[in-house]
Amino acid sequence: MDSPIDVADCLQRWKQGDESAAEELIRHLHPVISRIVRTHLPRRDHEDDVIQEILMKTFSRLHQYKGDAPMSHWVSRLALTTCLDRLRAQKIRPEVRWTDLTPEESTEFDAAWLGSTTPDATEAIHARDLVDKLLSTLSPSDRSLILLVDLEGRSLEEISQSTGWGISKIKMRLFRVRAQLRKMIQNLEQRK
Amino acid sequence: MNMENSPQEDQKWQSLLERSKPTFAGDAELPFGFLTSTLARLKAEKRDRDLLERIGLRALFASIAILITVGGVSVGVQLQNRFDFDPAVQSLIQADDVPIS
Repeated sequence: MDSPIDVADCLQRWKQGDESAAEELIRHLHPVISRIVRTHLPRRDHEDDVIQEILMKTFSRLHQYKGDAPMSHWVSRLALTTCLDRLRAQKIRPEVRWTDLTPEESTEFDAAWLGSTTPDATEAIHARDLVDKLLSTLSPSDRSLILLVDLEGRSLEEISQSTGWGISKIKMRLFRVRAQLRKMIQNLEQRK
Repeated sequence: MNMENSPQEDQKWQSLLERSKPTFAGDAELPFGFLTSTLARLKAEKRDRDLLERIGLRALFASIAILITVGGVSVGVQLQNRFDFDPAVQSLIQADDVPIS
């Protein structure tokens, strides 16, 4: 989505020291980066700091951007790598037990089982916290992979392009991640 | 994703994701104060980078200047020493009128 602004012109102006060009670029890139950070990092992570970190990286590496792909693609890859690096620094939970869930998360677990009505904002947050807990047992790359497929609906080819992994590797990982998630959900169900 | 034949756990996972979906959406608008603080950080980083670049360039020029000076001094000393013979050799040269080239 590079159409609303002329990225090449902004880059040129920024190189010449025009600060309004940086402002335009930040406004243009922020929604893209914000969506990636919100998807791939747990809800309570310092979102604005991470977005700023990605923007700083973007501006300091602008000379590496060749302009052969839309800038949002280039920045998306940078954002995803930054999120993965951040996740790598966090500990992976060995498992999620029923006692680890807050009462609200337990309610959400049951609500999802029943496939109940559209949640309000608070319920969505509790559901997200539960999703984050389940995801925290996966490795950073597995976590991102399952979200790219199940949440963003990306095709295997798209994931291959953005991660550099082969299709068969992606399929194998996906199979393993699904098995792991099933097992965790089964465990939660049994230990109620 | 087709969930008709998938196990119940997969359906539950999809349902949880669906219920939490609003929390994954990115901000369309910049949060309050974000632009100002980002621009300030960007300016500070640029200033630091420029400063480092200037310091680096100055250090490079200083090292080149030192190298040239040291080189000049050593060549000068070497040229000076070229005619600075031992007194015995000097007298031999004078006696035999040996041309020094």
